[in-house]
Amino acid sequence: MSEAILSNETKGLINKNVIIEAKNLSVAFEAHTVLKNVDLFVEKGETLVLIGPSGQGKTVLLKTLAGLIEPTAGTLSLYHKQWRGLPENEKIKILDKMGMLFQKNALFDSLSCGENIAFPLREKTQKSELEIQEIVDYFLESVGIIHAKNLYPEEISGGMQKRLGIARALALMPELIFYDDPTAGLDPITSKKIIELILELKKKNNATVIAITNDMNRAYQMADRIAMVYQQNLIITGNVEETKKHSNPAVHQFIKGELLGPLNSSFENL
Amino acid sequence: MTTIYRDVYSFLELVKKTVMSLFLKPLRVKETFQQLYFVANGSLWIIVFCVCFAAVVTILESSFHMKLVIQNDSMVPGFASLLILRELGAVVTALLLTSRVGAGIAAEVGSMKVTEQIDALRMLGIDPIQFLLIPRLIATTLGCMILCVVANLICIFAAMIISDQVLGYTPSMFLTAMNRFVQFRDLIFSVVKAMFFGMTIPMISCFFGFRCKSGADGVGSATTQSVVFASISIIFLDFILSYTFSYFY
Ligand SMILES: Nc1ncnc2c1ncn2[C@@H]1O[C@H](COP(=O)(O)OP(=O)(O)OP(=O)(O)O)[C@@H](O)[C@H]1O
Ligand SMILES: [Mg+2]
Repeated sequence: MSEAILSNETKGLINKNVIIEAKNLSVAFEAHTVLKNVDLFVEKGETLVLIGPSGQGKTVLLKTLAGLIEPTAGTLSLYHKQWRGLPENEKIKILDKMGMLFQKNALFDSLSCGENIAFPLREKTQKSELEIQEIVDYFLESVGIIHAKNLYPEEISGGMQKRLGIARALALMPELIFYDDPTAGLDPITSKKIIELILELKKKNNATVIAITNDMNRAYQMADRIAMVYQQNLIITGNVEETKKHSNPAVHQFIKGELLGPLNSSFENL
Repeated sequence: MTTIYRDVYSFLELVKKTVMSLFLKPLRVKETFQQLYFVANGSLWIIVFCVCFAAVVTILESSFHMKLVIQNDSMVPGFASLLILRELGAVVTALLLTSRVGAGIAAEVGSMKVTEQIDALRMLGIDPIQFLLIPRLIATTLGCMILCVVANLICIFAAMIISDQVLGYTPSMFLTAMNRFVQFRDLIFSVVKAMFFGMTIPMISCFFGFRCKSGADGVGSATTQSVVFASISIIFLDFILSYTFSYFY
């Protein structure tokens, strides 16, 4: 673990491309520590995939990196700016570059599917109604739910909600995109298509992607770098090849999906 | 005990942020009007209905007791109108709004919290206080003030009818008696009370909504707590305000 962090840390110091810089990040909810002294550097244009057993803090880490959860200790810099204490207008400027798909999709249930995508465009851009509808149609088409444009989120299936969530996250063409489990609840073919869409859109505007998935095939399909959240730590396992050969027994057990290994004790606590 | 202090502290923190964004950030006019329509129009008939019965009970009860004590109920019209204007109109309106509007706000905001919609707003750089709380705060405050005036008028009207029908005091006798007991500032004080009550309801509902825990009972308990605390606060505020206003008489 230390090797990977060290090499990244030195990279971080000399590399202007680092857009997320987390040092000694700890997150706790009251007495319950979820993450402890996590270091992470994310470079512009890379795809980082977070894996890890359920309940270990992947979502918490993702939201912390996006500035949604205040870390209890440590520092977070986004686009070379210290997040803590940053004036609100500066924060908004950075947030405008970011998009997020939430684990529970976070669709606005009072708005129709089309309006869910239109909402960020109406809020953040000066586009005309015609342009907005064009963009809405384009994204609904890309995720294959154009027929559900006028339905409400509760009227469409779980997988469709996921795709709508992705479309909404992408509506403003963000350059830093967080995906919390983009393929959960999707069939294998749709999953593959969704990942292809994510990669295609990423290429289009050279976006940086941080994604959570526990589907290792999808992780290998998109990752430049993989990291595992485990026991309050972040184990940066490297690229796909390095991850497959990683020496940590917990990582090995997790990616192989084996029943016996060090992870069992942490599952027993669930 | 320390958790109570912390809760009070975080409530005051929310009040502070609300005041700041009320003055520093642009108002979302469309949302505010939508909310005002929901608060005022949606609650009007419930309030009219309840307040009419409150008037009937007030008249009949006070007549019964006055007859028992001083063998005469001629004071009832004046006394009842005073009671209605000073207490009933504002408090009944506020308590009904707590259950109808306050519970709705807590449930709505709470479910937005647990389904991560609030995080989604923040991710778009939208301040949930400005987007959700302020429109509801303004709408409920204005709505409560308007409804309070309506409730007072309807209640007095109902009291007048029932005095006429049951006690035999004609409307003109009722109005003469009322004129002797009641001053215009009673109505003003009633509206001032309504303003404070109207501010309390959405503040407390949003407070519990924003800190709603996920899980099956999260939204439920946020709703229950918001109704309980808002009702207690209204009764308590009513005491404070009545006490304060007594210096003006
Ligand atoms: N708002 C919160 N308040 C208190 N505890 C929380 C909160 N959010 C998360 N936790 C705790 O943090 C831990 C990590 O949760 P998290 O949602 O990040 O898990 P996860 O790795 O995303 O799991 P999954 O794969 O099931 O989504 C859990 O033990 C959870 O109870
Ligand atoms: Mg999660």
